[in-house]
Amino acid sequence: MDALLQAFGLVFDPFVLGVIGVSALFGMFVGAMPGLTATMATALLVPVTFFMPPVPALGAIVTATAMAIFAGDIPGAMLRMPGTPASAAYADESYAMTQKGQLNLCMGVNLVFSVAGGMIGVAVLIAFAPLLAEVAINFSSYEYFWLACLGLTCAVFMSNADPVKGFLSLFFGLLLATVGIDPAAGFPRFTFDNVDLMGGVNFVATMIGMFAVSELMRGAVSLDQDAKVVVQAVGNIFKGVGGVFRRYWLNFLRGSAIGTAIGALPGAGADIAAWISYAMSKRFSKQPEKFGTGEVEGIVDATSANNSALASAWIPALVFGIPGDSITAIVIGVLYMKGMNPGPTVFQENPQLIYAVFLIFILANIIMLPLGWAAIKSARQILRAPRNMLLPVILLFCLVGSFAMTNSLYGVVLMLAMGILGWVMEEHGIPVAPLILGLVLGEMLEQTFVQSMIKADGHWLEFFSRPIAGTLGVVTLGIWLVMLGRGFRRGPVAAPA
Amino acid sequence: MRLNDSLLGAILLVFAGWVWWLTTYFPSFPGQDYGPNLFPRILAAGIGLCALLLLLRGLRAGGAALVLEPWTRQPARVASFLMIPGGALAYILLSDPLGFIPTAFLLLLGLFLWFRARPVLALPVAAGMTLLVHWFFAGLMRVPLPRGLLDSVL
Repeated sequence: MDALLQAFGLVFDPFVLGVIGVSALFGMFVGAMPGLTATMATALLVPVTFFMPPVPALGAIVTATAMAIFAGDIPGAMLRMPGTPASAAYADESYAMTQKGQLNLCMGVNLVFSVAGGMIGVAVLIAFAPLLAEVAINFSSYEYFWLACLGLTCAVFMSNADPVKGFLSLFFGLLLATVGIDPAAGFPRFTFDNVDLMGGVNFVATMIGMFAVSELMRGAVSLDQDAKVVVQAVGNIFKGVGGVFRRYWLNFLRGSAIGTAIGALPGAGADIAAWISYAMSKRFSKQPEKFGTGEVEGIVDATSANNSALASAWIPALVFGIPGDSITAIVIGVLYMKGMNPGPTVFQENPQLIYAVFLIFILANIIMLPLGWAAIKSARQILRAPRNMLLPVILLFCLVGSFAMTNSLYGVVLMLAMGILGWVMEEHGIPVAPLILGLVLGEMLEQTFVQSMIKADGHWLEFFSRPIAGTLGVVTLGIWLVMLGRGFRRGPVAAPA
Repeated sequence: MRLNDSLLGAILLVFAGWVWWLTTYFPSFPGQDYGPNLFPRILAAGIGLCALLLLLRGLRAGGAALVLEPWTRQPARVASFLMIPGGALAYILLSDPLGFIPTAFLLLLGLFLWFRARPVLALPVAAGMTLLVHWFFAGLMRVPLPRGLLDSVL
């Protein structure tokens, strides 16, 4: 109880509330701009939050991402261009509703169900994270080793990309994590006598390069083809939403449940949750033939799912230190930078911090309602923001942000190199997210692996000797076998557009 | 721009071999079976395996060695594309001698004009954004942005 009061004190501080407000506006804007993703919003926020205490830093990230995931629905419905990948699953459906003259209802449903789905995800996070933490406190290096393996494998397994290329990206990320002074023996690995590399590959600069600079390079090519944006006027968006809720409350619960479950899986996030729940909605609908023609049913499922996934992705991140998606991978990086290693001990040593995160999540979902309404009303102006001036300004943010992470040009050089690498990878259908997860988890994976090897002393079965470790190990090996079988049978898999 | 899988696989195979070769220079410690080279070697082997799969798959599927998208044949678009990494490179080279404010202003202005923003708008926005970013990062967050030419003024 004491910790909860402390958490209230931490969150309801004018500075923290100010940060949350500004981040909310920032998240709304980035999410609503097609081509700028929620992950990019987080990447650009990290250098700013680096200089803040933990609570406002986490508050900024939580709020900005929650807003961005909702705001991505706006251009999806108005222009058929999803603002973030998490809205891609139902952008066509939303646009079809708009063409039928139901833009108001579509926006209202998106907003209300985003808030409600987000709240369900938060409720599950609050209920289960502390319980899981009590179990996790007894984990040894074996359990952590298998958890890290499982998380990284899921990241490859759940992404739509070719598994071979997914693993390639993952191994490369893990390899990047080994650059620098080796934690066990203190030997500098892959540093080529460079002083900057001794400290390792800076994670934030890498992320800004991979998620922002490569995106700018892609955007710069098509800048001259910008279509003139014509946006319909928006009326009363809340009219009729109550009726939709009464009719499709089961869809709402199902979408939120699927979203929460997928978000809590290590390695899968909001965009996958939206795709799967939309597909489920169609599968179990009484009128599946109407999907794609502007029916609200699938949107209810999917828009609830992506916001609930966002919150539940924090469960594995906070409890085990294993990210649920690329946004929480960034969060874990931020926690490490603040000297707070995520894991079950945080729940015992700093419970007020965990409660503060919960409070911020609730707060973010509450202010989403008025802010989302304002964003929908001003969508015309937001979507008209000139992209030819936006791109250079974002580049400047990237440059200064990565400079600030190292206080030297090393960060900028690294960002540029990683931006080019990220672009080349995407061109070849190699997903970027596994690399980032590998870079974040690399040190933990290596440490738990080497510790376990030393403890097991050559006896491989020791890795399966404890009940939870054994279960996790068998599940992980099972997924590896399935993927191997798939890789042999199907050969190259065409990446979906 | 896309290399054939076989070519990509071959390049990555060489890369994996190079990483393995580098690990042979890592020291081993007596009495400790698992040294600093163990994990990187597993990763090099993993990359090598994936590279081999890509190589075999690419050879089986055939196809052109290099596929270029249509935009790569339009010089203006290629230049736009190069503006982003080129701009970053210019910042890396110029920010120390010139200082943050002149470099950022010139970078923004140059890119605005290249992407066809109206000069009436480009000039004030470039100046305003530069000062805003400088105020926020150098003033508020105490990031040591290079002062360069303006050292005596700031």
